[in-house]
Amino acid sequence: MKAIIVGFGFMGRDLARVLHEKSDVVAKFDGKFKVVGVSNSKGYIYEKKGLDLEKLLKTEALSDYGKSFNAGGSSLELIEKSGADLMVEATLTRIQDGEPGVTFIKEALGKGIHVVTPNKGPLVVAFKELTASAEKSGCEFLYEATVAGAVPVFSLVRECLQGDKVQRISGILNGTTNYILSKMYFEETSFELALKEAQERRICERDSTYDVDGIDATCKVVILANALMKRNVKFGDVERLGIRGITQEAVSLAKKANYAIKLVGTIDGNLQVAPKLVPINHPLCVHGTLNAVHLETDLAKEITLVGYGAGKESVSAVFNDVLTILKKTKSAA
Amino acid sequence: MKYDVTLALADKPGHLLKALEPIAKNGGNIISIIHEREKPAEGFVPVSLVLDFPSKWNLRKTIDDLKALDVAIIKSEEIIETTTVTLILIGKMDLKKLIETKFENTRITGFEVSAPSSKEACVKMELEVPTNLVETVLGELKRISKEENAILVSSV
Repeated sequence: MKAIIVGFGFMGRDLARVLHEKSDVVAKFDGKFKVVGVSNSKGYIYEKKGLDLEKLLKTEALSDYGKSFNAGGSSLELIEKSGADLMVEATLTRIQDGEPGVTFIKEALGKGIHVVTPNKGPLVVAFKELTASAEKSGCEFLYEATVAGAVPVFSLVRECLQGDKVQRISGILNGTTNYILSKMYFEETSFELALKEAQERRICERDSTYDVDGIDATCKVVILANALMKRNVKFGDVERLGIRGITQEAVSLAKKANYAIKLVGTIDGNLQVAPKLVPINHPLCVHGTLNAVHLETDLAKEITLVGYGAGKESVSAVFNDVLTILKKTKSAA
Repeated sequence: MKYDVTLALADKPGHLLKALEPIAKNGGNIISIIHEREKPAEGFVPVSLVLDFPSKWNLRKTIDDLKALDVAIIKSEEIIETTTVTLILIGKMDLKKLIETKFENTRITGFEVSAPSSKEACVKMELEVPTNLVETVLGELKRISKEENAILVSSV
């Protein structure tokens, strides 16, 4: 199988590293697997015989790779000419319009290329359209890393809960806000101080709005609702309140009553992201940058998954999606 | 609908059986029965029952039938299933308005205020709410908190 990586930032590069370091694992699924191209906004590298991943990982910019770098070449051009069977779309998330991810994914699926993405934007904006396109072209479209990073929520439901109906989902879906609220809970710091520390430790972007105001968690609620509960919801359908107004006094009052305040996303009759009181012995009561997803289904009843929701651990989910496609296409052949 | 009913029965054989007949006849289901024979008073013993009836009408009919049989009714009240709701309100607000808001069959069982006069004022409330009214009560509290520019943090 020939693969391309579109978007070569933190995630794209990390995936290339894992594909290189775990080439023995990849070979068990497909002995002929190779990455034939990578691209970013500056251009792309394409080599029909497959890229030298060790060399690629030593570059700082794609242009350092050498002759095969096509300066100014677009990702669409790479998708067009690469003849790839699989694309990992790892461009930056833009939740306003999902671009450029939506265009790249549509293009790939339209050409019969399987797609893996950790990019929330396209799924928030065009979930139905993209999944319909994948179905029409008979392609796999996997996005495990979009919600709760390394936590295998979609894989679990797809593989292990095939006959279950998911009735309710609640979860701590944003590691940054959980880190801030945990700091306030354990160290009795103010919101402002906890946020500053999260920024210094690079857990949070300088513009904290995306995390603190619940935008990121809302995107995940939309994806979970559409993917696991067959809903057709948009970002604006979710009632959203972030953690900016949570004071130290409130956290302390909650703590005295054996609760922790957490930013919780809920999907049932309503769609909501809001600070909630979580009993300290509740399975959702996880701390630090951990995420937790609590599923309620008709047969299995309650299942909780806990793990790291962002950062370097997410590559596990992207890598597993790639291997899943290799396995499926192998068994289909 | 569940009801807590206490009857005073003559401490004589057959009287309990006789008293149970109208319950069955009017569609009642006996969930529990305690025949307190060790507590007789002037020849009568209290019998406490938890009964499930399809409606209030069935209970009323049963009570009429029991009275016709000369069975004294000591107590008959609906059992309301309640849920304890804990919530925190953040922001300076009119506490009197909050406390005086009346919700059907709801009791405030806990109330704690932190820094009431500051911008960071917080109120923790514990309410005992009829289980079927939890959503309504939370909805109303949400409306009040919005009016007061406060944040409502309810439990999961």
